[in-house]
Amino acid sequence: MSFTAIVLLVAIATSAAGFVAMRLRLGALPPSYAPARGSSAAGVAYAFTVAFAPWAKESASRHLPSYLAGIAYHAAVFAALARLVLSLFGPPALSLLDAATAAALAPGLLCGVGLLVKRCVDARLRALSVPEDFFVNGLVDAVLAAGLVASLRPAALPVFQLAGALLIVYAPLGKVRHMLFLFTSRRALGAFFGRRGVRPSARARGVLGV
Amino acid sequence: MTGAAERALQVLRDGLDARTAAFLSSCVRCGLCADTCHVFLADGDPGSTPAAKVERIAALFRRHHTLLGRLAPAFVGARDLDDDALQALAAAAFGRCTVCGRCALNCSVGLDPAAIVRFARSVLSAAGMVPRGIRANADLALATGNNMGISREDLLETVAWLEQDLRDTLGDDTAAMPVDRAGARVLYALNPREVKFFPLSLSAAAAIFHVAKESWTLTSTDFDITNYGYFAADADSARAIAGQLAARTEALGVEELVVAECGHGYRALRWEAPEWFGRPWPFRVRSFVEVMAEYLADGRLRLDPAKNTARVTLHDPCNLVRNGGVIEEQRVLLRAAASDFVEMTPNREDNYCCGGGGGMLAASEHAAKRVESGRIKAEQVRATGAKVVASPCHNCIDQLMELNKVYKLGVEVKTLAEIVADALVLPAAPHS
Repeated sequence: MSFTAIVLLVAIATSAAGFVAMRLRLGALPPSYAPARGSSAAGVAYAFTVAFAPWAKESASRHLPSYLAGIAYHAAVFAALARLVLSLFGPPALSLLDAATAAALAPGLLCGVGLLVKRCVDARLRALSVPEDFFVNGLVDAVLAAGLVASLRPAALPVFQLAGALLIVYAPLGKVRHMLFLFTSRRALGAFFGRRGVRPSARARGVLGV
Repeated sequence: MTGAAERALQVLRDGLDARTAAFLSSCVRCGLCADTCHVFLADGDPGSTPAAKVERIAALFRRHHTLLGRLAPAFVGARDLDDDALQALAAAAFGRCTVCGRCALNCSVGLDPAAIVRFARSVLSAAGMVPRGIRANADLALATGNNMGISREDLLETVAWLEQDLRDTLGDDTAAMPVDRAGARVLYALNPREVKFFPLSLSAAAAIFHVAKESWTLTSTDFDITNYGYFAADADSARAIAGQLAARTEALGVEELVVAECGHGYRALRWEAPEWFGRPWPFRVRSFVEVMAEYLADGRLRLDPAKNTARVTLHDPCNLVRNGGVIEEQRVLLRAAASDFVEMTPNREDNYCCGGGGGMLAASEHAAKRVESGRIKAEQVRATGAKVVASPCHNCIDQLMELNKVYKLGVEVKTLAEIVADALVLPAAPHS
């Protein structure tokens, strides 16, 4: 195993330990005692399926370019993470795998840079932002760029692994933590609206068959 | 650090549950929630976006709950909890948010900004920074059993003349408004505003109960369904206020507590109070809207829509609908009780808050913002061309009446019970 692969492995282990510790510290979601009007399970199912549809929420439907850019960006991040993990096991490069990685990372990188530019030029978004927002977006973009280069030039894989290791180690510390908490939040909010019979809406209930 | 800040810090450190902590850790400041909020739509101020309001408390959370917040606060936008931070938090959590939850339904990440603002309010409550009007109403409810300090004698006097009026209106000497009747099936609990300012909604409810042949009663003490402790996010007060009515409900031995038309009262008693007490109530809790719809479905009420011919639209109270799940019942009732019912756009759980929720009506220091943010609702109403706005919430009704004047809407604002009572097809009276 190469030096950079070992660094990456250590980063993954450290980050995983950090996330586990955070989740344990968070504790269990509080129980519910009021009699349900709807179904928590249906609400959670909705939150992790239909609620991602571009038409399901105004934040998506009214801001379709930003929302779709965000989806492409996050898909690229997951693709990059998967490619990093695979790089620990296989040969430095597989042509088919690299082609798939490049196909996911290129549009994701473009969208990531676009979202960074938006955060810089949109006065309202800039006012809302903290320095870390720019740093994290830039760091992720750098990882995606390194991944894209590595998929085209396998010799650049160590750079991709090192950049990825930095992002992975950083993940539990700052806003990237949302990759863990998003699941808890979505589950909690889905259960909230599901239990009260508000979500899934009548239309979404038809889609989900509940 | 002042005593207020110290008390606030203790809640910030120790008062977080897993749900709120997860929400606070999930916001990525994407800002896509901005135009889901009626306050931001009305004032266009970046500080009024849900994300900006969340950030007020999230910055304090990061400072005191995260490693980077402690080591590099400027980098992650973490902020010390001090008096300035509390002032800014109060302006956001009480002055620019009605905790309506529309942003929660539309957050792209899937977190609940309203729950976060409620947590912020609990921090402020510990610091003694709840708007005076909200605090005073909570304290009066704790001291007297209702937020307007209405005495038992005053209530009984009001009920006595309403009962006589009811008999005259129905032409039925057997019509009654029973009080403190142990063993009745239903306890109908009130918003004190009904007793003091809107007795017509109380007599409308009485007429509906009478026609439906319900076994019901009022209570002369602890009748208040409102909960300003809930608005203040003061857990002790909220629990105590709900506990007063719950104790009275149990003492009367009824099967069901029926909550008059009050959005937050319904939410507090139906959904939140069991969580505060850590157990379900030993009685059923329903909104009067649900009960009326059941009477209609069971054939216990007959309604004639020809008795309400003016165009009616419906304002969906956030706490009853989006946060309470009572979505279709009011529509069923209005379709049966009015000949020209039209929906606002958007409606149901997607409705915009009227601007008066979350205790805003009691916070006189934020009155200008409340009326300004109500512009979105006023535009919705105007677009329907309605002459009557129905809303099953006395809090919303107060706000809608003010919006009617300020924005010159030329509408009449009514409770659902009033419209249903006007449409009642009365059975032949035994005495007249």
